[in-house]
Amino acid sequence: MPVTAASRRLDPRAKLYLLLLANLLLFFHVDTRGEAIMVALFLLPLFAAGRWKNGLRLAVLYFALLGLGLWSDAVTLDGAGGGSGGSLIGMMDGGANDGGAATFAVTAGHVAGLLSVGIRMMMPCLITGAYAFTTTSISEFVCAMRRMHVPEAIVIPCMVVIRFFPTIVHDYRQIRNAMALRGIAAGRFALVRHPVQSLEFILVPLLMNATIVSRDLSVAALTKGLGIAGEHTCMTVIRMSWFDWAFMAVCTVPLALAIGGVL
Amino acid sequence: MNQPNQPAVQSPKSSRLAVPDLISIGIFTALYFVCVCVATLVSTLIAGAGTIFLPAVAALICGPVFMLSVARVGKFGGITVMGVVIGLFLFVSGHFALSFVASVVFPLAGDLIARIGNYKNRVTILIGYVVFCYGLTGPILPLWFMKDAYVASLEARGKSAAYINDLFSQISVGSFFVAMAAILVCGLIGGWFGQRILKKHFVKAGIA
Amino acid sequence: MSASSSSITSAVPSQPFGTSADSIIAIADTSFRYAHDDAGVAAVNPTVANPVSGNVASPTDRALTHVDLAVRPGETVMLCGQSGCGKTTITRLINGLIPNFFHGPLTGTQVVCGLGGDGDTSGDATAGARDANVAAPVPIESLVPLVGSVFQNPKTQYFNADTTSELAFPCENVGMPSAAIRERVDETAQRFGIRHLLGRSVFKLSGGEKQRLAVASATMLRPRIIVMDEPTSNLDAAAMRDLHDMVAELKRAGVTVVIAEHRLAWCADLIDRYVRFENGAVAGEYTAAEFAELGAEQLELWGLRALDLAPYRAALRAKVGVTGGAPDVAEMAGRMSAGCPRSARGLNDGLPSERGTSQPSVIAAVNAETETASDMPVTSPIGPVIDSASRHPSAASVLANPSVQQTEHQSPNGAAIIATHDLVVGYRRAFRREVADLALYGGDIIGLMGRNGAGKSTLVRTLCGLQKPLAGRVLLHGRSVRPAALTRAGFLVMQDVNYQLFADSAREELLLGLGDADDVIRRPIDLAAVPDTETAGSGIAGAQSAEAARMPYLHPATLGEQADRVLDALDLLPFADRHPMSLSGGQKQRLAIASAIMCGKELIVLDEPTSGLDRAHMMQVGALLRRLADDGKAVLVVTHDEELAALWCDRIIDMDGSPSLTKETI
Repeated sequence: MPVTAASRRLDPRAKLYLLLLANLLLFFHVDTRGEAIMVALFLLPLFAAGRWKNGLRLAVLYFALLGLGLWSDAVTLDGAGGGSGGSLIGMMDGGANDGGAATFAVTAGHVAGLLSVGIRMMMPCLITGAYAFTTTSISEFVCAMRRMHVPEAIVIPCMVVIRFFPTIVHDYRQIRNAMALRGIAAGRFALVRHPVQSLEFILVPLLMNATIVSRDLSVAALTKGLGIAGEHTCMTVIRMSWFDWAFMAVCTVPLALAIGGVL
Repeated sequence: MNQPNQPAVQSPKSSRLAVPDLISIGIFTALYFVCVCVATLVSTLIAGAGTIFLPAVAALICGPVFMLSVARVGKFGGITVMGVVIGLFLFVSGHFALSFVASVVFPLAGDLIARIGNYKNRVTILIGYVVFCYGLTGPILPLWFMKDAYVASLEARGKSAAYINDLFSQISVGSFFVAMAAILVCGLIGGWFGQRILKKHFVKAGIA
Repeated sequence: MSASSSSITSAVPSQPFGTSADSIIAIADTSFRYAHDDAGVAAVNPTVANPVSGNVASPTDRALTHVDLAVRPGETVMLCGQSGCGKTTITRLINGLIPNFFHGPLTGTQVVCGLGGDGDTSGDATAGARDANVAAPVPIESLVPLVGSVFQNPKTQYFNADTTSELAFPCENVGMPSAAIRERVDETAQRFGIRHLLGRSVFKLSGGEKQRLAVASATMLRPRIIVMDEPTSNLDAAAMRDLHDMVAELKRAGVTVVIAEHRLAWCADLIDRYVRFENGAVAGEYTAAEFAELGAEQLELWGLRALDLAPYRAALRAKVGVTGGAPDVAEMAGRMSAGCPRSARGLNDGLPSERGTSQPSVIAAVNAETETASDMPVTSPIGPVIDSASRHPSAASVLANPSVQQTEHQSPNGAAIIATHDLVVGYRRAFRREVADLALYGGDIIGLMGRNGAGKSTLVRTLCGLQKPLAGRVLLHGRSVRPAALTRAGFLVMQDVNYQLFADSAREELLLGLGDADDVIRRPIDLAAVPDTETAGSGIAGAQSAEAARMPYLHPATLGEQADRVLDALDLLPFADRHPMSLSGGQKQRLAIASAIMCGKELIVLDEPTSGLDRAHMMQVGALLRRLADDGKAVLVVTHDEELAALWCDRIIDMDGSPSLTKETI
């Protein structure tokens, strides 16, 4: 999570609102046209924040899925009259179907269609999630939670989770190195061959270290006053600007129209 | 130090979550979250598109983390907070909002069950763990939504209901129950494994 | 809040003190015992081991007995003493972690900044449970604005993932408005010259930068006292200089600074008073002048680190045989002729005799150097004092009587165990470092030194086969091999040894991985160095009989016996059934080494084995290295510890392009 970004970013609370909208979109099975409009809208702030690579990747993925869906439509349209469309599960199991190549194409079309529709409907959530995750600094996130009066019992663990992730990655590498040096579960397939033992060898040092870190962090946090009762302030200031409100409105209108069936 | 005396990091038996408890919870939540990510990877690799087994796989490998966190914190609210934080992270990273609800309700229930045994009784903790594991059903719920959406899109293009039913007869209800039963079984196995690790390593080392 | 709004230079106590008129810290007749010796967790202090028996201080041991300590405002006090002497416990009393976080029966009076008083919660064993409701101790929260704390491990003492938030963190917790926090962050960054660190991920900082951040963060609320608990144990020389400057700044501003520390040299010019602890009691108090006159041997006798490192630095320069990186030929030649007029190769050719006299030659070099260069008179030759002579006969004899070792030692059989040729280490894009050719022989202790970021750990990881070299070759016994073979031949004892212990008992730890029938470890070549029984009296195995050890296959029963022998040689047999995580830091380190011996490793690399150790423990580690080397292993030590390197290493590889071990430091 980058701490600074020169470009325009939304308020964390506006991001949360976008996430909610994306979830509504998922909930109400909006048709493809409405979905495409919303996806375009959700991609905008990603570009505005300067995350070109990320935004382009998501956009390309969406259009690829859209194309896949169209192809699937075309294929399955023919199969509509052909009685049995072929069982999806049968296809997945690789079992032979009585039909010939045509049935196979139809079944493949259905798989593709299901994938296309399924992943496409997840896309708005993914996009807004990616936006929220990559453009919100931790301090903004914490500040937003405190502004929304989330209890400290939730805020503190959230801070610790973010703080501890990189440590887990580091610890895991160290443990794998140590295992390689000892010849324990070394080699490419050892994890697959002895999954339970490998899990034990990896988890136990991880957890041991976690207890040590949790003690050290507690000590550090206590001496820095995390336990002080009363309101904790934030250095980072977050403010809902007209831009935030405007964008929220812009996103809400088409969604409402699409859900209402007008669009 | 061989006798399992109470861990040092505890305020003198207040039943409320203090700052050190919250920090422990945060750290175990992070570990749990990483385990869930691993489970996602594994379930995708093994079952292909059927990530419906994600909660089951997660239940299988998260046992030690859960058991140690219960042993270290041992207060009401610990498991719940863990669930809430997981749910929050799932939501913010773009998962379906229902996953947040699930990851609050089930851990809370699990917390209540484990409290019956005062976070000491192995059986209640194990049951609590199994219930806790259902909290992860949130991320896989959209799979059923996906099916609905596809059905809807087929209907919109004028396919007959019979055709659609034929197409989806095998997935739907059956797979749902299989997935839920898998969580139960895997939760029991994973929880047992966790308790075994706890006894073998952490109790012996005087940490839990 | 009242303290936080006072200005930096408010050294003058503005509020009345309770009983003690002129002390900012008044600890009187205080005793304390930790309620639980949470061993694995009391890797609190990885070194709380009793130096003699190797035992973790048992829970019944008192951490403090009837301690009296008064500190005047503005004073800079150093608490020194061996590991487990109680100095860390004092820092915890001052910052309120005792009794708020670490529980146990506490007696006596502790007044900090006028807060507190008769914290008498003494009595029977249940006192720990009662102290919550009997006498309400000063809550740690009220001490937060008054006392800032800096801890030992830079990796675990920050709470936020980015630097600016970490600085703001204490201010946020006391509820300062955001504009004031920003101002304060700016001011503090300016004050300590860490503006360039702002807005960065803490994980990307070096250890030294992290520690500077920790000090800056501890001063954010303008506390009147700063306590530091072994702040330098993981730092290199440059980082210690930075820390020194920060302490100087605090002293200038009139802040009371209490430092509990093993390394004495880095801030010797700033300390007003030394308080020496022994077994939980004050053993002596000295002004800076008195302490400086004590002399090096006296400090060694007490198990303390040296106050003046100049002799050690001089000895180090003499030992620098090889530089890493693209060597500046002229400069290198100059250094060679000054200190050690031999090429690295030549050193090895004359190995047997050279090794025998290595220790005395250090001392000679030291004396020569001190006469010319150091302005601090050294009254006697620096001779290593071994307080554990009875435990390590071979090591003791090595140092006391070098000729003994000379006869015992086998001359190496010519070929280096590990050698490099035109090696370039690094990561594909991020980092690239050329390493001058080096050769590691059995029987050698090589020190690998250099500042943070010089590529020490990358080199070490490459030598152990944990990462591929970018270019060049690594030769194992003269043959160019793949990284996997290096991983089988080498072993790395990590700085955080907790990562390398997997089993549920010390004995199991040694047998782990050896039982698998298809395991690569069973290959004959790797068993070459498994210690032999007959010579167990001298060192781990003494001179191994090569034929016996080259058995291609070991019976499982033999493996168990073997494990017990290795444990015994490393004084770990009494703990064979204990969980590795319940051992002390030093014991864990030895257990990791034992596992390497069991695997038949030929190259043993140790990463900062003496960080946070007092002199006595440092010497023990040194003696252990010597024993490993005498058993024919090649020992490579990555270290910042100049005392360890000067006293125990045969050669130093300096990874710094420029000579960093110059005498003008501090």
